[in-house]
Parts: sequence; C-alpha cells; structure tokens
Amino acid sequence: MAVVSRKRIYEGTRIPSPIPTILEVDPDKHDLNDILQINFGPNHPSTHGVLRLVVDLDGETVAGIYAVIGYLHTGFEKNMEAKTWWKNVTYAPRVDYLSFQANELVYVLAVEKLLDLEVPRRATWTRMALTELNRIHSHLIWLGTSALELGAISLLWYTFDDRDLVLDLFELVGGTRMHTRYFQAGGLAEDVPPGFTSEARKFCDFFPGSIDEYEAILDRNAIWLERTKGIGLLSAEDALALGQSGPILRASGVDWDLRKRAPYLAYDEVDFNVPVYENGDVYDRYKVHMDEMRESVRIVRQCLDKIDETDGEPWVADDRKVVLPPRHELHTSMESLIHHFKIVTEGYVVPEGEVYVVIESPRGENGCYVVSDGGARPWRVKFRAPSFASLQATATVAQGGLVADLIAVAASLDPVMGDADR
Amino acid sequence: MSTAYADVPGIVETHESYGETTLDVDPARLVEACTVLRDEHGFNFLSDVSPVDYLGWGGVGVAGYIGTAGGRDLNEPGSQGLARRPEPKPKRFAVSYHLLRVSDEPARLRLRAWLDDGEPVPSVLSIWPAADWFEREAYDMMGIVFEGHPNLVRILMPDDWDGHPLRKDYPLGGEPVRFSDAE
Amino acid sequence: MPDQGPGVFEAEVKAMEDALLLTTVEKAVAWARSNSVWPDTFGLACCAMEMIAVVSSRYDISRFGMERFSSSPRQADLLIVSGRVAHKMAPPLRQVYDQMLEPKWVIAMGACASSGGMFANYTILQGVDKIVPVDVHIPGCPPRPEALLEGVVRLHEKIRAGVPPAYEIRGVAE
Repeated sequence: MAVVSRKRIYEGTRIPSPIPTILEVDPDKHDLNDILQINFGPNHPSTHGVLRLVVDLDGETVAGIYAVIGYLHTGFEKNMEAKTWWKNVTYAPRVDYLSFQANELVYVLAVEKLLDLEVPRRATWTRMALTELNRIHSHLIWLGTSALELGAISLLWYTFDDRDLVLDLFELVGGTRMHTRYFQAGGLAEDVPPGFTSEARKFCDFFPGSIDEYEAILDRNAIWLERTKGIGLLSAEDALALGQSGPILRASGVDWDLRKRAPYLAYDEVDFNVPVYENGDVYDRYKVHMDEMRESVRIVRQCLDKIDETDGEPWVADDRKVVLPPRHELHTSMESLIHHFKIVTEGYVVPEGEVYVVIESPRGENGCYVVSDGGARPWRVKFRAPSFASLQATATVAQGGLVADLIAVAASLDPVMGDADR
Repeated sequence: MSTAYADVPGIVETHESYGETTLDVDPARLVEACTVLRDEHGFNFLSDVSPVDYLGWGGVGVAGYIGTAGGRDLNEPGSQGLARRPEPKPKRFAVSYHLLRVSDEPARLRLRAWLDDGEPVPSVLSIWPAADWFEREAYDMMGIVFEGHPNLVRILMPDDWDGHPLRKDYPLGGEPVRFSDAE
Repeated sequence: MPDQGPGVFEAEVKAMEDALLLTTVEKAVAWARSNSVWPDTFGLACCAMEMIAVVSSRYDISRFGMERFSSSPRQADLLIVSGRVAHKMAPPLRQVYDQMLEPKWVIAMGACASSGGMFANYTILQGVDKIVPVDVHIPGCPPRPEALLEGVVRLHEKIRAGVPPAYEIRGVAE
C-alpha cells in the first residue's frame, strides 16, 4: 500500500525560497506602500503560548510572514546534563506540557535502550494506556483552544470538562494531575492502583459519546466549514520536505504513523486504525484529530484488558543496579542496602553509547537523542520536538490567506511552545 | 549490512550499535552524500540535526555496569568499571543528521560530521528545507557555522546574547538560593 | 502562638484591617474591586493549562467574577504569570505589566514564576518578582486549579483588608 496518496493538493511546491521559513512580500502581487507589518506578539489571545508571528499585511491578506520563537526557551538540555538519569525524568514531561507522558516515555525508552533493560509486560501495557489517554488529553486541549480561537467558544468548556476526567485518571495512577513522572527506566514508579481499570473503562464508555457531540457541533457547521475547508493547504511532498509529522502529515495524504510503521511498546499487538485524509487543509487536520481520539479509546480498552490480565505481575524490571529494591528488603539484605545507597546517591550508570529513539506523540515525531559517557549523568540529551518542525511550515501554509485564516492555520499546526523552544 | 551505503560518497566510517546505523561523513562532501541518500536511498525526511560537544570527554572513567561492554568482567577481578575511559572522539563537535525514509520500507540512519571549533559545515537546506531551523538552533546553541545557510541567526536565545549556551565551557547559570532564615 | 497553619492567615488579615483603619468608603471600594478582578491572559507554559482549567465548569473562576480574561492589558486588573519566564520573554512581560492601569495586582503562579522552579539556569528568570512586584506567590508544579483559587481568594482577602497592591509597598527583587 502506497504511503503517499495519489491526490495532488496543489502542483509544484509552495515552500518559500530562498529561506523556507520566511515568506517575503512579492512585489508583483502587492504594492509595497500598502504593506503594514504587524506583530502578533508573544502575548496574544491565542492560547498557543508565546509564539510571535511577524506578519506583513496588505489589507487583510497575509503577504509575508515569519515566526519568531524562543520566548519559552528553558534550557532543558543543559539542565539535564547536570542531573542524574533518574532525576531527568522530572524534566522530560515539562518539554511538551500537553502530552507529558509522551515526553517521559521517549526519554525513558532511550535510557532503557542504552541499558538494554527488559521491561515487564504489565509496565508496557500501562505505559501504552497512559500514553493513549494523554493523546486524548492533548487532542482535547487542541480542540478546545482551536475552537475558542475560531469563535466556537462553548467547546472550550466541554473539552476541558472531559479533560478533567482524563486528569482524574492520571491523578489516580500517578498522584498528580499533570506531569505525573510515573515512568522510570525499567517500568513504572509504582504499581497500578486497584480501581484504575474500572474507572478508566467508565471513561472509555462515556467518552465516544462526547466525541460524537463535538462532531455534531462542528462537522457540518457552516461557519466552521467556511473557516477551515480549503484553508492552509499543504501537499504531501511539501510536508515531507518540511519535516512535518503526526496529524499534519496524515491530513496531507501520507499514511505514516510510527505506531504502525515502527511499533514501539506493544503497538503491534493492539488493533487500531490510522486516520488519513487527503485534502491537506485545516478541516482535514481537525478530522484526523477527532478520529485519533476514537482510535485512542479503542487502544486504551485493549490495554486495560491486558492490565487486568497481568494483575500481580511485576511492574518494574528486576535489575537492582537500576531500579530501587523494595523497601522491606532493605532490612534483611545487605546487597539491597548497597544497591539502594548507590542508586540514591550516585544514581545508576548507563553504558557508553548513543541512541535516537522516536515515538509518535500527539504532535508527531517526537525523538530523544541521548549520548552517554558511561557515567551517572547524561552527556547530551536532545529532544526532537515536533512543534519546532511544524512551526517551520507557517510560511508555507499561511500564504495568500486572510488574517482570520492565519488564526485557523496556526491553530491547526498545533504548536506547543514548550516543545518548540525547549 | 554496512555495504548497503557503500555508494554514498565521503563516508569515512560506519558504526552499528543498538540497532542503529551511523555513517561518519567528511564534512566537505556532506552535500553530495545527502543528495545520494535522498535520491538513491529514498531518505526523504530529515528528522533531526543534533550537535554534540565532546569537550572534556574521557575525563572521567566509565563506571561499571554489569553485563555490558563498558562494565565488569567477572573473569577479571578488580575490573569494577572506572578502569577504562570512554572511546575517544576524533574532534570536538559532532553534528548528527537523523534521516528517515518515509515509505513502505521504513529505515532510519544517522549521518555524522566531525568538526573542530570554528570549522564550518555545509548546510543541507537545499536538500531538506526542514533543516532551516534545526541548523539555526545548532548555531545558536553550539556555535556551529553552516555555510550556505541563508538566514543563520539566533533562534532560541535573544538576538543580542553572547556565547553559545550548550557548549560544555558555558556555565549552567542560575543563582544561589537564599534561605530566609539564614539572614 | 504559631506563625503558620490554618487560621493564622485570617488572624493576620484581621490584624491588618484593624491596623489600616479603612473608612467605610474605602472598604466599599475595596469590596467592589475584589469582586471583579479581571485577569490578563498571560499563560506561558504548563501552569497556563491549569489556569485555563480554572475557567472550566468544575473549578469555576466565574463565581468570583473573574472569568473575563482580558487579552488587552489596558483592561486587566490582575496579571497571573503562569509559567516559566525566559530572559527573552522578560521585556514583553514588563511591557504588559506597565500597560496595565492602577490598581493592578500580580500573582506568580507556580514554582517557575515564583523562583525559577527547577530551572536554575542561564535562560530562566529566577523568580518573576525580579521584574514585577508580586502580591501572591502560589507554589506547585503546576499548582492544582484549587491551589490557584486559594491564591485568588487570598488576594481578595488582601484587597478587602486594604493592603495596597505590591507596587506601592515594595519594589522588585534584586
């Protein structure tokens, strides 16, 4: 089956040149005296965070645009070089703060790959369930805030109510709503508490009805269609050339989802579909998000069954050089005491080497490149941020639209500035 | 397995580890190599450009991790790790290009160019436009100059910032914590 | 007499009220001001998600009359700095604060806004009180929506007690 669909969204390429991320005003199409350069400054009503767009407007038409980022640069990578491997799991979720489990997962998978650790099945299934719930969480926030920006304000309240249900599940399992830091190298930080699977099943039974409601509000709404259909076109070739991934790529007709093409965790053992749409506009990206939420519910149900099946099994690898021994052993076993001491004071050590692990986060290709020098601290951690790449497409997709379309397009690119700036 | 990329020009060395293939390329022939990889081998997606600074690499011994190449050898008593240093690196900076083949036969590849401080590397923006901001970030954070990049300015730090933060000789920063009852 | 714990805040507020000796008109003005403090949309990072959550129906900030988040700082009374402030973002933050009209209050929401949080590095402002005077600091990473509401309630108590906004009683930190 071909990866790229045959439908041509537009001929040729629309990537600006010489600089792909800066759209310059074309003097043939616009009178340069009419151009007004406005700053959609870092603080603006859109809830995508501190993104700055410098826009050249000819009336209401976008004649030139480029994006300025860096207003949330946090220096994650430098901080992570100074802390031990375990403490860095606290830094990871704050990179892309909407899909926090995905960031934790990619970092922890990279560390486990270097350590060559075998993660028990129970932990794998729980990780999958939580990552898919996180996908639902991220898409809900995307939907709520994008609809808010386009004027469908009531969706904000509906989606945030459902988001609270997902966060209740995270709180049940990890103790806190966001940034649960529940994954560790080797498995999970603690066993899944009893009652989680039944509560999660209640959510899975309830949630598809919510998605139906959202689709009923938006799918055939004349205003929504007018504002999203045919807006922000991006062809498959341009998307691949610009490094786009995730829903943006799938809405442009490219059947590419790492969960199917390069399965990690246990994605090859669950049954789900990958939504692919062909028109490459904002409406198709919206449809991809909605369909992905439904598929995530399917995956979560299957994972919950497996979690129930593996009840009583270990939730973390047995490798005492990496994982803390259970506390009751510290009273009786000298080796456990030494292991505990070494792991808590120095931290576990990871063999020398480098890996690049990539997962399919809600935004697309989220990678973690880890270099270890054989010590207790990483030498280099680099996150490949999907939002960083998707913002590069701003100049291409915003071409020729109006200011109102710019809002829709920026929303459909789903940028999270923590991810883009790291 | 390493003969699959034998026709890529400029390859100095090939490594395989953890299921990943790394090709060390001569920086002067980087654009040629990338063109061949994109056109003949189908790597149409540039996933990431990661600079790494190896200043101070090998200063501390490799701590032992049982069962792996860097750790204890049970037949050699006393080899508790720390007896060997990590593999030395050819030069100070390495720029790794992580490539992906989006097709029915997915494949990943890492292309790596080794650079000294101040040595420029050609930009691959003409091959993959996605390299634009990644190279700007590598310049901003590590000071690696990409020749031929049309817009090599700072991207994450303020425009008038001094220094390249992710270099190993740049301090972490922050300030000491003042405790209120210490006054 | 303990100096922390439940009941102590209320006792402090009462003590301040008695000390400041507000007139009836001032008390009325303070009551009115506290009942419709309009926040400015200054969401930066993860804390912004919990700030938006506080608008939702479960936590309901509109019972305080505060659901009208104003994007224009000219119409806002309260600046909730929610998230980590990079050095690049500090001038826009100060500019937004300067554009607000008196009386104005600032809540530093979360660990990063209060003190730099876990990011003690070259790029994050170690506490937003280095550039704007802060009235209420809210700990947490991120603070739960209930914690943000607690901070908001304490701000209301301060306003009603007659405590001047932070720019009148202290400047910015060193």
